[in-house]
Amino acid sequence: MPRKRSATKEDYPLAAPGYSALMPRSLWNGTISVGLINVPVKLYTAVESKTVHFREVHLEDEGKVQHRRFCSAEDKEVPYEEVVKGYEVSRGKYVVLDKDEIAAAAGDRAHALEVEAFVETDAIDPVFYEKTYYLGAGAKGGDAYRLLRDALERTGRAGLGRFTFHNREYLAAVRPLDGVLALHTMRFADEVVAGKDVEFDAPGRRPRDREVEMAGKLVSSLHEKWNPGKRKDEYRAAVLEMIERKAAGKKPKRTREKPPEEAPDLMAALEASLAGGK
Amino acid sequence: MARPLWTGSLSFGLVNVPVALYSAVRDLDLHFHQLHEKDTARIDTRRFCEQEDKEIPLEEIGHAYDLDDGKTVIVTDEDLEAVAPRKTRTIDIEAFVDLAEIDPVYFDHPYFLAPTGDSEGPRRAYQLLVEAMRRSDGVALGRFVMRTKEYLVAIQVRDDRLALTTMRFADEIRSTSGIDTGGKKPSKQQLDQAVALVEALSTDWDPSAWKDCYRARLEDVIDRKRKGKRISAPKQEKEPAPAPDLMAALERSLAAAKGKSTAGSDGGGLAALSRDELYERAQKEDVPGRSSMSKDELVDALGS
Repeated sequence: MPRKRSATKEDYPLAAPGYSALMPRSLWNGTISVGLINVPVKLYTAVESKTVHFREVHLEDEGKVQHRRFCSAEDKEVPYEEVVKGYEVSRGKYVVLDKDEIAAAAGDRAHALEVEAFVETDAIDPVFYEKTYYLGAGAKGGDAYRLLRDALERTGRAGLGRFTFHNREYLAAVRPLDGVLALHTMRFADEVVAGKDVEFDAPGRRPRDREVEMAGKLVSSLHEKWNPGKRKDEYRAAVLEMIERKAAGKKPKRTREKPPEEAPDLMAALEASLAGGK
Repeated sequence: MARPLWTGSLSFGLVNVPVALYSAVRDLDLHFHQLHEKDTARIDTRRFCEQEDKEIPLEEIGHAYDLDDGKTVIVTDEDLEAVAPRKTRTIDIEAFVDLAEIDPVYFDHPYFLAPTGDSEGPRRAYQLLVEAMRRSDGVALGRFVMRTKEYLVAIQVRDDRLALTTMRFADEIRSTSGIDTGGKKPSKQQLDQAVALVEALSTDWDPSAWKDCYRARLEDVIDRKRKGKRISAPKQEKEPAPAPDLMAALERSLAAAKGKSTAGSDGGGLAALSRDELYERAQKEDVPGRSSMSKDELVDALGS
């Protein structure tokens, strides 16, 4: 069982009421199989958006706003049980699918992920990773979990397979991350736009060697070690501060944009940037 | 080419390049609409004030934020504008880091940047950045604002273009400390065997080899429903149980994996194919009832 996560008040200064500092419930339970090795796992959220969300409110009386379903033909409210899902095959013409029919497409791996192949993790362009989840060891398979994690850590590989989650099938990559196994849902090749599909004219002449060299110097002068905690969401902080000021009856602070400076001469701009130590 | 999602300027030191942002992902999902069952008319969502039980127009709706102490703060568009980040039309490159140091868990949505305008200068400056970054293996870190939200972004070279990826902030990544990492440390022999199994099942990463079978099956289901055929839910594959003897399972898996790779892809016959490969064949041969068949049933149906 996952342990309690000890979040402090400082971590969530304006956390919504009812925020729980517990590890979330697992989202999916199943078994990853590699050959005849079966690894029972539990799937957990790895990423939690901290974007400030608002709820809708009627400005006049601060009443709660409800979304109600109406039939567009009858102009009448429709109870949830009478709502079905339809795919538009031609304008205004729908094929209605019920839950079982959609499930027929979802696949039969509601609780199994069979690793079909392993690939080198470094060979996967990050553009293919969609969402990340953590995998914890499930009941009665702890040794197999540990073995799979250690073998993947040693080989630098990720296991690829398919599994069904929320009534659709995904391609998934399983790889070690920070001592646990992580599962990434993957994008398919036809969903990823190739560079050649982004068209623009090439410059009349290529940048001069001297310019590339200067730009390279500027790149190295700005090089640092990746430190994820260094960059904070300043916008989120500003929104939360504004809310606090408003709650205290104060006026929000204003900020103004200043337009970017024009630099007509590439070389002069590069030199000035380097000289400025920027 | 599609309309850009954002236009502005990429700034690198004192070099400014006017750029446009395009999504690097296509939405190929089949989307469903909510319909009213009895007349298949579209469902509209209407906003009602709970207090008055009255429909309200959009302009009477505001944003509310509930504080810990139960107080509610009403936030107007003006309030949000007041805190909008100063630079809404520039992506400022702040630093460069090694791509290998950033775990993919930080990446969110991928985009491409293209130079805009007809003049030579911006295009050359864009090309200069591409060439300088290609040589350094570095990823540029910057910030930019799209639809009032500020994003941390990584810019790298992909397919001779500048590719931009929005990123998660560190406090949005959950800690792994509560995750159960299993049982006892494997013996050296077990680990060696497991590594050998991983290697025997390894291939090169070829993204085009992986097709979205779900999308294909959903298209097939829609098509058959349209023709008035019956579709039922598939039987779920049984969840395999953990092997009682890990070492014995490793040895047998390794022997099977080696056998499969020497016998070639057709060595195991139909049974060696994945359910998706079997389903694709069943689709071609128009096997009735295929969508509800398990892997074993598909093998039987195709083999007969």
